[in-house]
Amino acid sequence: MSWIPFKIGQPKKQIVSKTVERDFEREYEKLQKLEDQTKKLHKDMKKSTEADLAMSKAAVKISADLLNNPLCEQDQAFLESMTALDTAMKRMDAFNQEKVNQIQKTVIDPLKKYSGVFPSLNMAVKRREQALQDYKRLQSKVEKYEEKEKTGPVMVKLHQANEELKPVKEDFEAKNKQLLDEMPKFYQSRIDYFQPSFEALIRAQVVYFTEMYTIFSDLTDQIDPAGLTDEQRQRETEAKLSELRSLSIVAND
Amino acid sequence: TLLSNYGDKKLYFPEIKEEMLAEEAEEAKKRREEEEEEAKERKAQRQRLAIEELVQTEKNYLKMLQICSVNIRSNLKQLQPPPANLDSLFLYIEDVMDVSRRLLSLFNQTHLQPEDPHYLETLCNSFLSLSSDIEAAYKEYLANYNNISVVENGYKQKEALWKEIIRVIKLSAPEVNATSLSFFLVMPVQQITRYPLLLQTIQKHTEPAHPAYALLEQTAHTSIALNCRINEYKRFREVADKYKKTESLTIRDKINRLNTHSIAKKTARFSQHLKHETGIKPKLVDEEFDAFEGFFNILENGILVLLENVEQYLLHLQRFLTCKTEEFDFEMDGEKSPICYKEITTALRQWILPTFEKRTRTLVHKPLCALRDLLVGPRNLIRKRLDKLLDFEMIESKSNLSYEEQAVANTYRTINTLLLNELPRFNGLALQLIWSMLGTFSCLHRDLAADMEQMFQSFAQQLPHSSLDPSAFWKWAESEVLESGRKLQTVCRSVEDSLNAPAVQPLSPSSQRRLKQLTDKHGSGKIYQVMSTVAGSRDLDLNLTRGEFVAVISEADTRGDKRRWLVDAGGRRGYVSSSKLIRYHQAMEDPPPSPLLNTPLDVTERRRHSYTPVYKPMNVMSQPCFQVMAAYSFTARGNHEVSVQAGEPVRVLEPHDKRGNPEWSLVEATGGQRGYVPSNYLTVMPMGAEPPGFRVF
Repeated sequence: MSWIPFKIGQPKKQIVSKTVERDFEREYEKLQKLEDQTKKLHKDMKKSTEADLAMSKAAVKISADLLNNPLCEQDQAFLESMTALDTAMKRMDAFNQEKVNQIQKTVIDPLKKYSGVFPSLNMAVKRREQALQDYKRLQSKVEKYEEKEKTGPVMVKLHQANEELKPVKEDFEAKNKQLLDEMPKFYQSRIDYFQPSFEALIRAQVVYFTEMYTIFSDLTDQIDPAGLTDEQRQRETEAKLSELRSLSIVAND
Repeated sequence: TLLSNYGDKKLYFPEIKEEMLAEEAEEAKKRREEEEEEAKERKAQRQRLAIEELVQTEKNYLKMLQICSVNIRSNLKQLQPPPANLDSLFLYIEDVMDVSRRLLSLFNQTHLQPEDPHYLETLCNSFLSLSSDIEAAYKEYLANYNNISVVENGYKQKEALWKEIIRVIKLSAPEVNATSLSFFLVMPVQQITRYPLLLQTIQKHTEPAHPAYALLEQTAHTSIALNCRINEYKRFREVADKYKKTESLTIRDKINRLNTHSIAKKTARFSQHLKHETGIKPKLVDEEFDAFEGFFNILENGILVLLENVEQYLLHLQRFLTCKTEEFDFEMDGEKSPICYKEITTALRQWILPTFEKRTRTLVHKPLCALRDLLVGPRNLIRKRLDKLLDFEMIESKSNLSYEEQAVANTYRTINTLLLNELPRFNGLALQLIWSMLGTFSCLHRDLAADMEQMFQSFAQQLPHSSLDPSAFWKWAESEVLESGRKLQTVCRSVEDSLNAPAVQPLSPSSQRRLKQLTDKHGSGKIYQVMSTVAGSRDLDLNLTRGEFVAVISEADTRGDKRRWLVDAGGRRGYVSSSKLIRYHQAMEDPPPSPLLNTPLDVTERRRHSYTPVYKPMNVMSQPCFQVMAAYSFTARGNHEVSVQAGEPVRVLEPHDKRGNPEWSLVEATGGQRGYVPSNYLTVMPMGAEPPGFRVF
């Protein structure tokens, strides 16, 4: 229809009121923020879990490598200590793995699933926007024809324009209503959705640290029962290092 | 934006365009400013709420403590017989309550409102001024808390007594849902760990430009430091109480009496192994020395490997500390479980684990590094001895040694003796060090777990499903997660289905022409429609607008990528992503042939969401209330067709061609000429339908 000069594509009639539009934007903003935060938490949880697993494996390596060193075999008491340490580390690693599995199932996977809704939602908002633009364009077209002198060709065009407008208007209104309905509902659903995840996160850690306390209490009773303070330990260590330094073979370079 | 409404329409009135643009820019600016104001207001409100939360939490907390230490306590005293060691439960609660009272009165002192920017300053200063008193009160309480647990557990063993206690609790505090004494008595343990998160939440909603921001940051840091020191004190007290320093034949003795001489003899083989590697084998074999050297070798290896492993461990620990999973904001701060999770994780990441890291570095990593550095001296000396030994071997058998040869012999003997004397001492001490560091490492783990356990105790009461035993809990959690996942899928599907259909629109003549052209050339089975405007990014990619028709030439590109299709866009050929295309089913699968051809056509079914032609063939005879007009211009292509202008009224003589095909209509145009035009080019206008100014010609 390029032979009709258009001043603006903006219809005179207000299609969507300012308040409704603002509410729509507000709801959508809330969802966008939730999308960002969900993605962030998912990322952080994954990284944190990886680091957690790596830490546990590193602890096992500490004790395993020591146990493999022939040093151990030479003194019975030392061997018993190292074996006990190794057992403790391996058991902790098993509990850690179990904790991570539970977290994966009840926290990380649900987070990912939740994030997966947003692309569809974003697309739906885009489509609504497209429909709105089409609606506005066609609405202003109709208005233009309505303003013109009512000749035959103009009437035909006006009729066509109205025919074109109708389905587009209905489409937009349907999309708009549905989104205005769905967006707050979906936002609200996050509370019930994530509640079990947080409880699971806490519970998994309670179990893990309870085990850690039991295992390392026993181990400490066995291999380090003296109960020194940090200061005392440091003094002891420093004393031994000083003794070493006083040897001539050490000073010699 | 508003400007996008202009689209790509030609703007024939530049001055008006300028005016319009300026108006729009004004409006947009006003809207932006409004929104910024609103956002600022929202943030200020959040800050206010967070500040109020801090004050309100303190108030409620104090109230609870008072109920417990006054009401419940006095009622329990009256039981016959009163529970044993009752007073021991309340030893340190007075100090905690006292400091809480003073904190609250400082908060209230200035009579300022939370909206006032100075209020925050007052809050922080109150906390900071009382911080040493807070530390003093809470450290004693927390250090003593285990005793409270022990006493309460004693009560729980006696069924009748415990029942009475619960009755008293419910009577004294009916509105509180408490089922134990520890419900109240654990609160100080909770409260001290809450301060960091409460303060950090205020900080999160405060602009850095705020006058009290630096003070707030300092206060938050202080609250963390408080927790560190309180925990440290707790550990110190545990150690002091538990171990009365009676030295018996414990593991320490075993460590200190390590007999490196006997060990060394057994390790001789390793020394030989090493010499095989280096290819050097002296003729003079000193078994004792070889044993010590062998021990040194495996010791050295052990230390280096241990140090590397500890460093790896600390690296992963640091990585863990940087993943701040407690920082998310789902606006769920009113819900128990996310808040509990945040409090626990904040504690773990901000002081419990950092303390563990610091102690590990100081008590394990640093000494190990020092020990590694000390390996250098003996290692070099051993090498030197070997060199001297080889020299010595050459001259040993001689009876008459020269002056230089004497010196060589003496050097060898000196080094050898030195090493024989001191190497075992070195080996022994080093092994003792390693052994005690590993014991320390175990102790650090225990302390870490103890810190976490104490914190968990305070949360157990608050979480709805904490009373479930493990298997029941995980069953519940997993089934919840599954159910939620299903619900989510439903939401997703409904959004996709109903919201993603492109709008229904009639075809413009240019679209119809393109459609016809492509269908003629490629057949109706190849026609697709572009779902959203796409700008090509690679070579030979097409720019296409939404709604355009294309014909698919190939469903893969030259490299076999099935997501990139070769299409004909009415003369232009190029690639487009297949995800942008949707199959277009036409009501008429092939273009209507000229009315004089014979074959009738199949009409295939219409697709619900495709662009459908709105105009159907009209079966109108001469009804006076309707006027048929040509909606579009049509140029006759042969003698049997007639040209019409858009808007021209026509008289329909027959709504089908000679074969009965309704796709063509026989009409009489205004000039009197008769001929066929495509039926879908015609439209019906109601005559006498009355918008004002309507005239019928």
